[in-house]
Amino acid sequence: MIDLKELILSKDNLYPLLRKLRKEARLIAPVKNEHGDTLFRPVGDRDTTDIDLENQPQESLKPFFLPQQETLAGYTINKGEYSFSPPPPALDTIFFGVRSCDLTALLYMDLIFSKPFKDATYFDRRNHSLIITLGCNQPFANCFCEATSSGPYLEYGYGLQFIDLGDRYYVSAGRGKGADLLNKWSYFFREVEEEDQNRRYQLFLEARGQFTRNIQVPHACRKLQQEPVAEAIWEKLSSRCYDCGGCAYVCPTCTCFSVDDKPQDNSSGIRVRSWDACTSSGFTRMTGGHNPVDRTRHALKRRFLHKLKHDFASHGKASCTGCGRCVDICFGGVDITTFIELFTQQEKP
Amino acid sequence: MNKNFIPAQAIIREIIRENEQIATFRLELTNKRLPFTFLPGQFLMLSVPHCGEAAISISSSPDRLPLIDLSIRRAGELTTAIHGMKKGDQVGIRGPFGKAFPIEDFANRDLLFVAGGIGLAPLKSVIDHCLFQSGLEEDAVQSITLLYGSRTPLDIAFKQAIESWQKQGVDCRLTVDEKDSTWNGHVGLVTELLTDVTISSNTRALVCGPPIMIRFVIASLADLGCGDESIFTTLERHMKCGMGICGHCHLDGRLICLDGPVFNVSQLKKLDVMEFAR
Repeated sequence: MIDLKELILSKDNLYPLLRKLRKEARLIAPVKNEHGDTLFRPVGDRDTTDIDLENQPQESLKPFFLPQQETLAGYTINKGEYSFSPPPPALDTIFFGVRSCDLTALLYMDLIFSKPFKDATYFDRRNHSLIITLGCNQPFANCFCEATSSGPYLEYGYGLQFIDLGDRYYVSAGRGKGADLLNKWSYFFREVEEEDQNRRYQLFLEARGQFTRNIQVPHACRKLQQEPVAEAIWEKLSSRCYDCGGCAYVCPTCTCFSVDDKPQDNSSGIRVRSWDACTSSGFTRMTGGHNPVDRTRHALKRRFLHKLKHDFASHGKASCTGCGRCVDICFGGVDITTFIELFTQQEKP
Repeated sequence: MNKNFIPAQAIIREIIRENEQIATFRLELTNKRLPFTFLPGQFLMLSVPHCGEAAISISSSPDRLPLIDLSIRRAGELTTAIHGMKKGDQVGIRGPFGKAFPIEDFANRDLLFVAGGIGLAPLKSVIDHCLFQSGLEEDAVQSITLLYGSRTPLDIAFKQAIESWQKQGVDCRLTVDEKDSTWNGHVGLVTELLTDVTISSNTRALVCGPPIMIRFVIASLADLGCGDESIFTTLERHMKCGMGICGHCHLDGRLICLDGPVFNVSQLKKLDVMEFAR
């Protein structure tokens, strides 16, 4: 019996292994499309070679667990009877090539969707998933996962973690399904040697040294527990927030949603859950038009305080994973890194 | 009941018209074996065909189960749709959700209710429950006073309930913002009625109404010597799930649906809300 916790997979064996996995479950991996966009997509038998492990996937895993739109229930009104039916069950899915930040985000979503009631739709998908991550040897331009303790490599949470050692992967198994998978397909792997361990450690140190952005997330989180943010900062940020919701939509940990009915005909319809953004003016507006939030001054307050102040207070960790996607998407330049920079420079009132 | 997104069916047994805008919908679950219980101050997520859901306070006492009252003001799409429904029609409900009023702390207290308009709905559940309890010696409250403000005499809602409360010894004082020829009662804001009320360390005040009213009533009560932990209010916020996930009612690290909607003033002070001026 070999130790299944850590093994080596030669790169020559990657596609054969993925083809086996593809037969067991739906396989989703970052795929570069004809436009050059890298997105998580289901992978067929023949196109495993389209898997793109070089670029950061443009979306996180969020859409697969909390889709932009999903049916929570169907409803019918039949002879006065108003009844609801649950959504279809989730498919068994293996996610491959997931970055550390995005798995960290999923672990945060697990918390959100289980407090205090388990969200059945979310956990149905979660329980039918296995996540295979790929540690980052080279941070992307806007990445700061080191500052949010969500990368470049992970220590837990994954089914399997792959680390690229050049011609081979160093594979670590998490508990449960990941270990079972290694056990089942052990003939693709070989045992870890000392040289592999040394190489992995060396790459880890190199990766940590390559971050170009120094975002002081822990400092901002601690400072937020102690002092308020100057109104001038909120106003400055809000004046360049154009209510597009882009930051919340690309954010792997923004999970706010709306629920609405979509009638199909007079007697039936579906109840749809869709992404919402706390930065938008309609988010807190109540029936009758009253809105407890003044958007012109506080459009971004809720979002940044939730991630950096309140989540830090309740979980000891910010719910920003340093993936950097919101930096690219915000055309007003008022993303979370701008806020952190302004606030950490704020002098004591 | 299942705390998830699948509502349970409920049938409208009766509709009580409270005023031009407000009606009370008396519901009963169609599946009578479904376990359902709640405490005064909790709310339900109400489904109306094709209109999605809205968070609505329960306005009846748990002692009236299996009947559940929802008093609803016609304001938006869903509430307008339910106002168009009739006895025997079906709606969906999920819940109950949220923290209730601390009923166990009300035994032997002098309860002061201050409400404006539809704000009486969640307090009505407490009043009815306390009156029911008053039959049971050890849990009885000392006294109940209600100060109720409406815009005009025509807007006074819950008349049937108020009459019944008066018969049971509740000191009900009403006021309107604008009088008409039929009105010879008090005219003015509900805060003005507070000056004639005796407040002691035994008083527990429960306040609900428009945010601006809550704010002024809390300030007046504090001036009259009511302690922060003796004043309770219930906040109304836009909600989409009722169970702490959707994020809409997030407020300074709290979720109104889980940590509230009932708060005492010392809890309210920690939140940045329009119902309380720091």
